[in-house]
Amino acid sequence: MQNKNNKGWYLLFTAPLTIIFLTVVVIPFVIGIYYSFFKWDGIAANPKVFVGFDNFIQLFGDSRFLTSTWKTTLFTILAVISVNIVGLVFALLVTSKLKIANAARTMVFMPYLIGGLILGYIWQFIFLDVFTLIGELTGMDHFFFNWLIDKDFALYALVFVFTWQMAGYIMIIYIAGIQSIPQDVMEAAMIDGASWWQKLKNITFPLLMPAFTISLFLTLSSAFKIYDVNLSLTGGGPANSTEMFAMNIYNEIFGYGNYGYGQAKAIIFFLIVAAITLTQVYITKKREVEL
Amino acid sequence: MKKFYRVLKELLLLITALFFLSPIYIIIVNSFKNRQELYENVLAPPTEFSFQYYIEAMDKMNFLNALANSLYITIISVLIIVVLSSMTAWMLARTDNKLSKIIFMVFIATMLIPFQTLMMPLMQFMSTITNSLHIPMINTREGLIFMHIGFSTSISVFLYHGFVKSIPITLEEAATIDGASKFGVFWRIIFPILKPITVTVMILNVINIWNDYLLPSLTLTDKGLRTIPLSTFYFFGQFTIQWNLAMAGLMLTIIPVVIFYVLAQKHIIKGIGEGAVK
Amino acid sequence: MKNQKRTWSSLFLIALLLILGACSGGNDGATGNEKNGDSGKASDQKITIFQSKVEITDQLEALAEEYTAETGVEVEVWGTTGDDYFEQLQIRMNSDQGPSIFSLQNVTEAEKMKSYVADLSAESYAKDIAPGMELKVDDQIVGIPYGVEGFGLVYNKDLVKPEDVADYDSFVSTLEKFKGEGITGLGLSKEAYFLIGHISNYPFSLQSDHYEFIDKLTSGETTMAETKEFQEFGKFMEAIKANTPSPLDVTYDKEVGDFAAGKSAMIHQGNWAYGMLSDFDVDFEVGMLPFPLMGTDKLAVGVGNNWAVNGKKDEAETQAAKDFLNWMFTSETGQKYIVEEFGFVPALTSIEANDLDPLSQDVLNASNSGQTIPWAQNYYPANIVPNDFGPKAEEFFLSKDMTGEEFIESLDDAWKNAVK
Repeated sequence: MQNKNNKGWYLLFTAPLTIIFLTVVVIPFVIGIYYSFFKWDGIAANPKVFVGFDNFIQLFGDSRFLTSTWKTTLFTILAVISVNIVGLVFALLVTSKLKIANAARTMVFMPYLIGGLILGYIWQFIFLDVFTLIGELTGMDHFFFNWLIDKDFALYALVFVFTWQMAGYIMIIYIAGIQSIPQDVMEAAMIDGASWWQKLKNITFPLLMPAFTISLFLTLSSAFKIYDVNLSLTGGGPANSTEMFAMNIYNEIFGYGNYGYGQAKAIIFFLIVAAITLTQVYITKKREVEL
Repeated sequence: MKKFYRVLKELLLLITALFFLSPIYIIIVNSFKNRQELYENVLAPPTEFSFQYYIEAMDKMNFLNALANSLYITIISVLIIVVLSSMTAWMLARTDNKLSKIIFMVFIATMLIPFQTLMMPLMQFMSTITNSLHIPMINTREGLIFMHIGFSTSISVFLYHGFVKSIPITLEEAATIDGASKFGVFWRIIFPILKPITVTVMILNVINIWNDYLLPSLTLTDKGLRTIPLSTFYFFGQFTIQWNLAMAGLMLTIIPVVIFYVLAQKHIIKGIGEGAVK
Repeated sequence: MKNQKRTWSSLFLIALLLILGACSGGNDGATGNEKNGDSGKASDQKITIFQSKVEITDQLEALAEEYTAETGVEVEVWGTTGDDYFEQLQIRMNSDQGPSIFSLQNVTEAEKMKSYVADLSAESYAKDIAPGMELKVDDQIVGIPYGVEGFGLVYNKDLVKPEDVADYDSFVSTLEKFKGEGITGLGLSKEAYFLIGHISNYPFSLQSDHYEFIDKLTSGETTMAETKEFQEFGKFMEAIKANTPSPLDVTYDKEVGDFAAGKSAMIHQGNWAYGMLSDFDVDFEVGMLPFPLMGTDKLAVGVGNNWAVNGKKDEAETQAAKDFLNWMFTSETGQKYIVEEFGFVPALTSIEANDLDPLSQDVLNASNSGQTIPWAQNYYPANIVPNDFGPKAEEFFLSKDMTGEEFIESLDDAWKNAVK
């Protein structure tokens, strides 16, 4: 009886959300997998030709896709590192007892409030006008120039803007983590005369492991999926050098009208990324301290 | 000396924070300029602070109607998300079996799917539901809410799940022995402890849903249903943007979220300590 | 225990109701919508318009209101940002949510949407479409032009005279002269269509039969690199790169701004640019000249957008959509809107155009006197400009050493990639 009852509770707590989730995310994804075996231009009335695994095989000879995959990986690594460092540093600063902490918290979070495409357009102004201006004024024009027209720097520009936008978001996660650290532990450490660094290293960081897991995963997944900023800041350019993965799929599906092939790309990439990130979650979860 | 460092730290933080905020300056000043002024100098302050572009933008966007739609969609979505995802996450975290692990993994894994690859099958499937079950999923605010909940599931459950793990299980066990039902345990004991993360989940979802353009643009077609971001499409041509109206529209879009954030973040601070102590 | 069981089962019910409630509250949405429409005259028929030119949305909405006032048929104008129109259209069509009237850019798009377009050949105004400007699929007219547009060298009459840019040699020496004076001879901008898309038309359009040429190019029977028009086009592009600042730093806004401020003597643009130009203080006269590839003196004139009717809707709605277009093209109000409010150069001979802006006037003059070459781009592989030509052109402008000849070769590669 008890067991049956528990099952009922389990169902009550998890079923509603799971059902919604299945309808909105999982089923469309499965439909997408189905399409990946067809050659189809994406118009419902036009013919779908079953091609088996051809789309998947074609992938490995597609140099633009492979380049895009590599660039996305590079971007993700850089972005994850920089977002987490900046986010964590800010989280530590704004939870300290500085007078300006509250105001700073709001200010740092502000970029995240501005969603969507327009951010990229604003940063275009900054790279074009402000960066060149600083370059002229300081004479450091080998560093301060319009990053968006250089194949390498355009990628750094993406990392830069992405960090600017995401750091506040990640900061919030770290703040929630820091706040869940019991005060008495901290106080005990203080009484023991622990230094700031000792407290950080021995108490804050280990207890922040859940927040680390979450933050790493969140930055990882949103960096892999980056689209809006990519589109509005660099548009994939110059000369496709910053065409990130989501944009590559989008262009394949809607630009070239290769619906099935685009879906095949999405699935392969999903499998790779899922393997990597789930390993990451698994590893960091292991290291979390169970209270 | 110690005092000096303190002031230095305060100053450094202030400067970095201001630096973070600086791009927003560009939005504000250019919402007051015409194209000629913007061309001449993007950074210069406007020659006059007239709110004409704000008024024009509000008028074109049918602002009050859009605001009502955005509020309705965001509030209902976020409330349901908070209720359902906290319950789900708690149950998944506390029930140690295969099924829980699988569900949780599926939730997480799907966060890696770019929305761009889902949107076409999603709309086809929603249209099938609309046609065969006669549940109007497309072109209704409620259908959009349903989809927003679906897309927010992963991240919300993920956030709650991580947090639940850090709550000592002994609290629940004690309550269960006292005869409380799971439902009672969750709402009376667990949910209050979850407050800091609830505020976080709310903030993140409010922002995502409030600012979302793509999903509403696909699901809502009727003019009367448009959300605020959707109403700004007038200002974005294929090759050019009406900068002043777009920037004014952007300001109008974010002001409500800024207010919400400032109010909500007080509760993050209040949440300090409250969690573990209770 | 029994009590507890009842609690959870009732709660489960509540949760389910909550979900169902979220889905089925749809009726609210419909009422919210009606409140917004014109409720004065009741008519069962409602048509919807979805089109890509964001700039005319306001005016189109006003026109729709006039139509509703006159006929009682409700017309709703949907909207989306200018750059994702076709994707949105595609998704809406696929999920049975398509509009009654939509827009198509060219024959490539029309072929793709073939199963949705209604035959408009029998419409009374179809015979008035200027020769060669109709959008045809399988010999049926499926699209009615918004208007005709033309592009070429938009020039500052104070700085440039027509004979300065009459052929390759004069064009290059003019660019060099301006370079010496610190003025941009010819401004381009980084958007794919303005960087390479439009300008790439000329060598195609100058072929005796550009349809045949494009088919041959696709089948691999010929290449651009071995065609003389393209060889000269390569030289032109090389001269532009050598004598003007990089267009990759320039947006459309800045391109037009620089021209208005007298920092550029010419820009490569179409008559649509006048809309933006009028946002600036311009103290000189402007006009449009042909791009003198192979010494041509003809402007490239064509159709950028066409109205199409969704034939997959029920008969009544399709008919209502046709009626609306008919009214727009034949009634006095409709014609007035096309010319004065939308600012189009009419593509129907039955519509008179007065008081055009100077650039549109140049386009109309060229069109009336037959001094035009067609837009070959309407027959390009779908999206080749943003997908393939754009990146190649960026490569060309980024690289200091890439010659015009190499550039043309890379366009050949781009073409192969687009049609594979």
